[in-house]
Amino acid sequence: MSVEIDTRPIWVLVALKALRPLFFIALALGFYWLITIEPPHGLSAAGLKAIAVFAVCLVLWVTNALPLAVTSILAMVLVPLFGILPGKETYALFGNEAVFFILGAFILAGAVMHSGLSTRIALTIMDRFGASPRRLLLSVYLLAATLSFFMSEHAVAAMLFPIVLEVAKSLGLKPGKSNYGKLLFLSLAWGCIIGGIGTFLGGARVPLAVGILKEISGATIGFLEYSVAVFPLVVIMLFVGYFMLTRFFPMDVVDVQGSHAMLGRRLKGLGKVSGVEYATGAVLCATIAAWMVIGRHGLSVVALSSVVVLFVLRLVKWKDVEEYVNWGIILMYGGAIVLGTALDSSGAANWMIDALVGRWAGNPIAVFAALSLLAILLTEAMSNAAVIAVLVPVSVSLSGTLGISPTILTYSIAVPAGLAFMLPMSTPANAIVVSSNYVSVKEMARAGGIMVLISWVVFNLVAYLYWPLIGLGR
Amino acid sequence: MKNVLLVLSTSGTDDEVIAYAVGRAKKDGAGLVALYILDPDLANSVFDNFTDIGFIGDKPSSALSEAIMKEYRQRGYEELGRVQIKAMEEAVGFEPLMEQGGYVEKTLDVIAGMGVSVAVLVKRKQRAFYKYFTVSHADEVKKAAGCEVVIFVEKG
Repeated sequence: MSVEIDTRPIWVLVALKALRPLFFIALALGFYWLITIEPPHGLSAAGLKAIAVFAVCLVLWVTNALPLAVTSILAMVLVPLFGILPGKETYALFGNEAVFFILGAFILAGAVMHSGLSTRIALTIMDRFGASPRRLLLSVYLLAATLSFFMSEHAVAAMLFPIVLEVAKSLGLKPGKSNYGKLLFLSLAWGCIIGGIGTFLGGARVPLAVGILKEISGATIGFLEYSVAVFPLVVIMLFVGYFMLTRFFPMDVVDVQGSHAMLGRRLKGLGKVSGVEYATGAVLCATIAAWMVIGRHGLSVVALSSVVVLFVLRLVKWKDVEEYVNWGIILMYGGAIVLGTALDSSGAANWMIDALVGRWAGNPIAVFAALSLLAILLTEAMSNAAVIAVLVPVSVSLSGTLGISPTILTYSIAVPAGLAFMLPMSTPANAIVVSSNYVSVKEMARAGGIMVLISWVVFNLVAYLYWPLIGLGR
Repeated sequence: MKNVLLVLSTSGTDDEVIAYAVGRAKKDGAGLVALYILDPDLANSVFDNFTDIGFIGDKPSSALSEAIMKEYRQRGYEELGRVQIKAMEEAVGFEPLMEQGGYVEKTLDVIAGMGVSVAVLVKRKQRAFYKYFTVSHADEVKKAAGCEVVIFVEKG
């Protein structure tokens, strides 16, 4: 056995070994310091403790030192432990409607994936419409976006990635070298990201934001109302995204027959559409229709009813649900709602708003633009759910100061928090694309950086020009 | 018989590196062993990313990491094929290896087990600042290997 000698300076080696324990000790000391200092003028002792918990969670969510769900558990431990909220109230917040809506939506998406319906739709569309390089690219891009309207964008990315990988392989595209390879994989990620902001179903962040909004202000946002508000943004960004992609990476293939043959083979292998696929598709369509009709209230009732129907019709088994749904999501979102409520009820959110934005809070348009910019920048470096958990409670508290509807302020965070185009850590869709080796981090950051800037501008223009037309405003 | 070891990069090895390894084996009168390492950490990190951040279940996350491993395995065969063609052109004895495990551990195992006299490795370009905090796998091998180690820096 060989002996390895590390020649780096001893202080570097010791520091690297001690980094994680030191990080947690520093975090604990910082927390202790915050909860023991004299509360500043206008802030209660409970408010100061809420800010301390908020700061700890923010650091952990940004650094990913703990899994997101575990950080949420920590919030649920600290909030009742330091008397910010009574224990009974803290754990009752888990029963928030948003948590059950998210759960139902994830189980429904799991059933669609389990039935094979989503894979069949993907293969059929790529096979039928992907006759030329441009059309194949558009098929991947629009398919990713459209599917992300109906199920989590992360699940869509996970489902489509192996297919796109096979397409790239069948075309003989060289990883890192082929422009068409970069186009295919980036169109997958960008399609998921842009489509993911289109409805409540694209990711759990919008239901979470609405859940926090409801707990704090009592206001809410309807399923259809949200989609109508963001529809122009989605359409414009889909156009912009395609234009940018094809400018950044000019197509370098002329024939896609290889992929056509591969897709045809895969499709044949699936056989005829099964009864389970038809029935699951029907349940999904009926659920979405019900969400649109019911509007603001009863979203979780519809979601959970659909889950029951799936089992009544024997379309899924509990084992299947367990394989497709990650229960950590309940902890993550339950904990985030607890944190948001703690900040609001202790007065900490109002105090932070006064202290941080008191002077320039006179201009609602500037505040809206600043909040959306903050959300879109933060989401490049941290999970979009964490961005919601951190920013929505504070921004909703601004509504009283500014006289803006808390609903509008929720939009200012919830929508940009999904527009994470730049880095692999922003969203799993980006991470998987980089891991394919077809796209480098540098290329993603360069193209994504411009998309972030454009999407921020477009979002603000849509809010300023379009929202008043549909009655969204002060 | 002496062997020259070429450890292939998962992101594609430059022709220049392959030409050097084949040329070196020919010059030294040695055989050429090409090693492609499948690192399961890569698939694991994708799995973690999708379960911890994306909150999707184990089945789709596992399918995804399997797809990545399959893709890397296929790329490995292609890379080994490229080296084989070059070795055949230069009439150098060739042995392909594909191993699953850690880069340093597997490379050192092959160096020790196959009588390697020269190891040719590739490492990513690293900024000077990061060199204080991280050591590339290729540098780790160089420190521990009991043979000559030639390291190329990946372009781009």
